[in-house]
Amino acid sequence: MILAALTSLAFVPSQASAEETVLQLPIRTDGPKSLDPVQGSTTYDNMACVQMYETLLVNQYADPFKIEPLLLAEMPTTQDEGKTWRFRLKPGVKFHDNPCFEGGVGRNVTTDDVFYSIKRVVDKNNGLKNVWLLENTILGFDEYAEKQNASERFDYDAPVAGFRKINGLEFEIELTKPVYRFLYILSMFQTSIVPREAVEYYGKDFSFNAVGTGPFMLRDPSDWVPKRSLTVYRNPDYHEVFYPARDQWSREDMRNRLHRAAGQQVPFADRIEFTMFVEDQPMWLQFRAGNIGYVEVPAEYFEEAFDKRTKELRPEFERQGIRAHSNELLDFIFRAFNMLDPVVGGYTPDKIALRKAMAYAVDLQEISDVFYNNTVIVYDGPIPPQLDGHPEGHRVEGAPRGPDLDKARELLAEAGYPNGEGLPPIKFFANRGGNTPEQTELMKRQLARIGVQLDPQLVDFSTLIEATNNRKAPMFSFAWSSDYPDGENNLALFYSPNKAPGSNHSNYERPEFDRLYEKILTMGPSPERTAIYEQMRDMVIDDVPYIGSLARERFYLINPWLVNCKPTERYWGWFKYLDVDESKRP
Amino acid sequence: MWAYIFRRVLYNIPVYLGIVLLVMALLRVNDPVYAYLGKNPTEEQIAQLRTDMGLDAPFLVQYVDFLGDIVTLSFDDRSWDQKRPVQDMIFDAIPPTMAITIPQLVITALLSIAAGLISAFYRGRWLDRGLVFAMVLGMSVSYLVYIILGQFFGAFWLSEKLGFELFAIEGYQAGVTNWFHYCALPVAIGVIVAMGYDTRFYRAVMVEESGKDYITTAVSKGVGKRRIMFVHMLKNAMIPIITRIMITLPFIITGSILLEMYFGIPGMGRTLINAVNSNDFPVIQAFAALFAAFFIVSLILTDVCYALVDPRVRLS
Repeated sequence: MILAALTSLAFVPSQASAEETVLQLPIRTDGPKSLDPVQGSTTYDNMACVQMYETLLVNQYADPFKIEPLLLAEMPTTQDEGKTWRFRLKPGVKFHDNPCFEGGVGRNVTTDDVFYSIKRVVDKNNGLKNVWLLENTILGFDEYAEKQNASERFDYDAPVAGFRKINGLEFEIELTKPVYRFLYILSMFQTSIVPREAVEYYGKDFSFNAVGTGPFMLRDPSDWVPKRSLTVYRNPDYHEVFYPARDQWSREDMRNRLHRAAGQQVPFADRIEFTMFVEDQPMWLQFRAGNIGYVEVPAEYFEEAFDKRTKELRPEFERQGIRAHSNELLDFIFRAFNMLDPVVGGYTPDKIALRKAMAYAVDLQEISDVFYNNTVIVYDGPIPPQLDGHPEGHRVEGAPRGPDLDKARELLAEAGYPNGEGLPPIKFFANRGGNTPEQTELMKRQLARIGVQLDPQLVDFSTLIEATNNRKAPMFSFAWSSDYPDGENNLALFYSPNKAPGSNHSNYERPEFDRLYEKILTMGPSPERTAIYEQMRDMVIDDVPYIGSLARERFYLINPWLVNCKPTERYWGWFKYLDVDESKRP
Repeated sequence: MWAYIFRRVLYNIPVYLGIVLLVMALLRVNDPVYAYLGKNPTEEQIAQLRTDMGLDAPFLVQYVDFLGDIVTLSFDDRSWDQKRPVQDMIFDAIPPTMAITIPQLVITALLSIAAGLISAFYRGRWLDRGLVFAMVLGMSVSYLVYIILGQFFGAFWLSEKLGFELFAIEGYQAGVTNWFHYCALPVAIGVIVAMGYDTRFYRAVMVEESGKDYITTAVSKGVGKRRIMFVHMLKNAMIPIITRIMITLPFIITGSILLEMYFGIPGMGRTLINAVNSNDFPVIQAFAALFAAFFIVSLILTDVCYALVDPRVRLS
């Protein structure tokens, strides 16, 4: 009887009606900070925004390294080798029904919405977090931004030289010069198309009242409980978007039956319930209980799910029908030197020898074994695996990769510090979160073997950025995740006009590198461009402005009831392809 | 009594102003602007952000502005991190926190006072030793261990054994009917941890009382054990009991950071730690101001309660 009473008290979360398809998915960490695309910057802002908003272009689900039209009827075309792009919007794409529109009914997306949304990125009232995406790109756009931000009111109706409206559905954008990354930028969530009415109607609360064209929509601002949950509902007027065709899927994907919904209209789910997990244990237990569809395997649970040596899923998981999937991330995890620092910086042979000595003393493989279950890829150069310019076998001949303590000691002596004598302790700034303190301690121990003393400064993220932006950190720990799948994005970290407070935090400067960087900006993928990427990569390796590099491999587990699931972190618009097999729910 | 309360409030105003000043000054040791920048920011963009955040104004101006918010009880500045008005965040976070802390406080107080009384009354006997052992054991294990094990066995493992989810692994839904599912387990964990400390304290208080003459007199008069414990001893031990309970009152609002983080309860503890992690000054300041106010009020109320339970105490 007691059990019966307790059963009646037990609450089964998110009871869906028999006809409804409801997905329960996790967001690791505390989730989005804003549902306004131009105010977002994190993965979690991205993950949330793209359910409600859409971009002109989008990554392909079957092959996320490629982009395809989303709000466009076809891929943009160019007649002048990428300086001017012509776009044609897909007709009949409607914004979500919302009180901000006349009669509460969403209207069709037009050229004006595209221009308005792009202009919002540079409006200082929106935080200017994403200005870097469009700087030095569109003809007359930087001047427009400067003028409007200096005036009392940001005038969205003022013209931009590079914007040319042809009609309600067609337009051209002229760039300052051919900038190849421009099309990638148009697939990034910060350039999502928003309706002006909604921005003006909701004012400061627009970030809680998402009104887009996406496959899902909010019914009420309370559907988002910041740091806790986000519930989105199927957009009944979603435009024609189909599940990827059979021929887009690889053989392995087809073995996982990812092709079975080919050609069907999406989304499949009526509702998605996202839960934010700041701690890993509750997320892991919710997955094991079958309450969430997939999980990114936290490091401390890796060996529970996988054999550490073979990385094979353990049989007990396979017996439960759980499927594993892994992705190599476009990571560039490195320990940088400030090239302006009087001790570790500089380009003279002794300074380069000092940095090389330290690189030879650091054992990145040991860091991988201890902290990443041996799942990270150690590689040479700043370009992550899978991208043009990444070295074959992850190695570049002659790149300073440790551990080679004899070589390290020899170079240290060449630098004028035999066995570290005369070398002052080197301040190393690192974020004190996660296991960074332990990683730093390990690196300190590794460097101590050749007599180099590291002086760790474990600080919060803000202080780390402040120290690097002000060029005060001699050495620091950083990680870069590519914004788009092009090595150019990583090479930009060593382009001298991007010196701190820009993203070139090592303040690296080499005129030849800068010249080549400006050249590749205008080039599309080609063997010639790849050769230049390799040349630039090798320049950086020779000058050693950092010790690196590492790229993580992400492991996912997928519960048997979640179908069509192929997790990727290249983009987050793939939840619309997910479906549920209710017969496999626990 | 009212004159006393008024005077105490007056005396505490400089203390309160000092606390707010200290919190604001300490926060500004580090520059938070850098945590909110995008990629490749220019010096102009950094300056613009500093202005937007209100950090370009002199510290004194910022301090006076914030005092104005406190006086008018309107924390309508927006969170830098979440862009929501701070007061909305606080109002949203208080109910989930109280759904945990109030039952936890009441149950802990009742159980630990009873356990303290019994332990003191049977001092030196097996019951006392057993209780003291259990309490010391409870105190010796980290709160985090209780949470991790409690969540695993109390929610996940038990659900597998029962075939239904009696206690939620994590999550929160408002409403009385949902309380048991979402809150009972965190409350139980909180009670187990707090009971060790409280029972030891109450036992010490009761042991001191049990050696007093009036207890000897009551025993010699033939008064029953239960009456001695729950009427004579308890009544005379009320001053330290009230002190202990009143001191914990402000924590009803602040909540438990660890419990809220692990059980996904969107309460004040979680809100505060998120704000600290993201250098969200408007939220941290409002939180600190609120907590300091509650603490001062609870101290004043403690004195008032002394007078109410002990006729020998006069508030003058």
